[in-house]
Amino acid sequence: MNEQEKETMEYLTLLEPTEADAPQPAAQALARVNASLREAYRMSWSYRLKQTVFAPQRRWVTAVSLAAVLLVVAFTFPGFRAAANDFLSLFRVQKFAPLSISPEQLALLGQIAEEGLLPGELIIHDEPGALTPADNIAEAVALTALPAVRTIPALGEPDSIYTADGGGGRLIIDLEGSRGIMEAVGADPLLLPDELDGAQVDVTIFSGVEQRWGDDLTLVQSLSPLVNYPDGLDEQALGQALLQVLGLNPDEAQRLAQEIDWASTLLLPIPQNVATFQEVTIGGSSGIALQSLDGSDNAILWQNEGMIFLLTGSQSIDELAALANAME
Amino acid sequence: MTTLSDNILLEQIGCGDEASFETVFHQHYDRVYGLLFRLVGNRAEAEDLTQDVFIKLHHHALQKRFLVRQREHNIGAWLYRTATNAGYNALRSRKRRWQRDTLLVPDPQGIPGAEAEAERRERETAVRQALAQLPERQVQLLLLRQMGFSYAECAAACDVAPGSVGTLLARAMKAFRQVYEAEKIS
Repeated sequence: MNEQEKETMEYLTLLEPTEADAPQPAAQALARVNASLREAYRMSWSYRLKQTVFAPQRRWVTAVSLAAVLLVVAFTFPGFRAAANDFLSLFRVQKFAPLSISPEQLALLGQIAEEGLLPGELIIHDEPGALTPADNIAEAVALTALPAVRTIPALGEPDSIYTADGGGGRLIIDLEGSRGIMEAVGADPLLLPDELDGAQVDVTIFSGVEQRWGDDLTLVQSLSPLVNYPDGLDEQALGQALLQVLGLNPDEAQRLAQEIDWASTLLLPIPQNVATFQEVTIGGSSGIALQSLDGSDNAILWQNEGMIFLLTGSQSIDELAALANAME
Repeated sequence: MTTLSDNILLEQIGCGDEASFETVFHQHYDRVYGLLFRLVGNRAEAEDLTQDVFIKLHHHALQKRFLVRQREHNIGAWLYRTATNAGYNALRSRKRRWQRDTLLVPDPQGIPGAEAEAERRERETAVRQALAQLPERQVQLLLLRQMGFSYAECAAACDVAPGSVGTLLARAMKAFRQVYEAEKIS
């Protein structure tokens, strides 16, 4: 190093932290990092559930998670058939079926998404709205045009009420991309039929209401999402393909695809390393209770008379179920 | 920087092994903070950014958990690249908020009023202003080298061939001196 270079290095020493600029001790900094990580993972659990069920197109917009796209494309096929017109099938979510998904498979799907392999082109024609505060339930009803907003009288007035406008989007399926994903996860790409290419899947998400009590008890409700897709698609074959994408082996996927009533069921992949689940009955309807592995964050998701409800909090599943059953 | 052990550490962090994360944290904390402090010139901001960098490492390990064996990983290089990006993002954000023309000038809130420090801070600002006019990679290389990184470490962190570090460094030093002298004259 010549003199000029030495001089340059000396100039740069001016940027070094002085004694007063010394960072907090490593142990203290590590404790902060660990606390942030715990909070991030805790928050993401119930947040992701809300995003998946109530505003899946937001995740489309970010295009971050291939798994989310697949969720919407594949698992909102269900609902019941109505005579929308001669060419479309019209579905609404009526019940839920949880499916355990391994972290390995999630990591693989994340990697595939990072590599830009997508199942088609997404067009958001109606961005969902941000949360807007409402003064009371009556105002929330007026803002959302929901037929009714249910609450939990035993808890008293909610500390805060928010509404959010719905939205809508269309996925135009690209067969090559979709088959590429199948190949990437080791599944048979030919499970996806040729006629899937260019198929349009429209999803409509409706306005919803979120009520909060205290720091962590939240009730979200909305009309069930509405899904239109071309008539004539083999739901069972598509379900089988997507079950393989979610990590089931071909035999399991085939068996489960036959068992699931694709015309009424929303499949919910639950990461094994995040939560466990069990079936519960709320107001006579079947629902899914989810419990984080550390037991600190629980949720119940159910559908009743065309509405989807999600109740989350740190209470036990039994306590949440009791609150849900006490809704009016 | 042994990539084999880095692969194992990364995989273990991805599996939730706190001890592995602690090992990496303690191994790199001072240097990540040192690099970020040199970039942003403010203790509180550098601490926050350092925290963000390690949180990103944790997420990265979780995402790559089952893919880490597919190629060789270098946690240090990843951390210093991420820290450099985080530092520059913070500077750009600060520029949007407070400044129009100058990067790499310390946050005014971080400048103590003591007169004894004033002259040193003035020279420090001149150095930062000169660095602000250099490409990011040259700045990164200069700072890492000043911090005592070896050529191999600089090469990995800057993602350049080890054989080219000497040339790139000489070029960066020359560019710095030219800009610094020009700043002094003006």
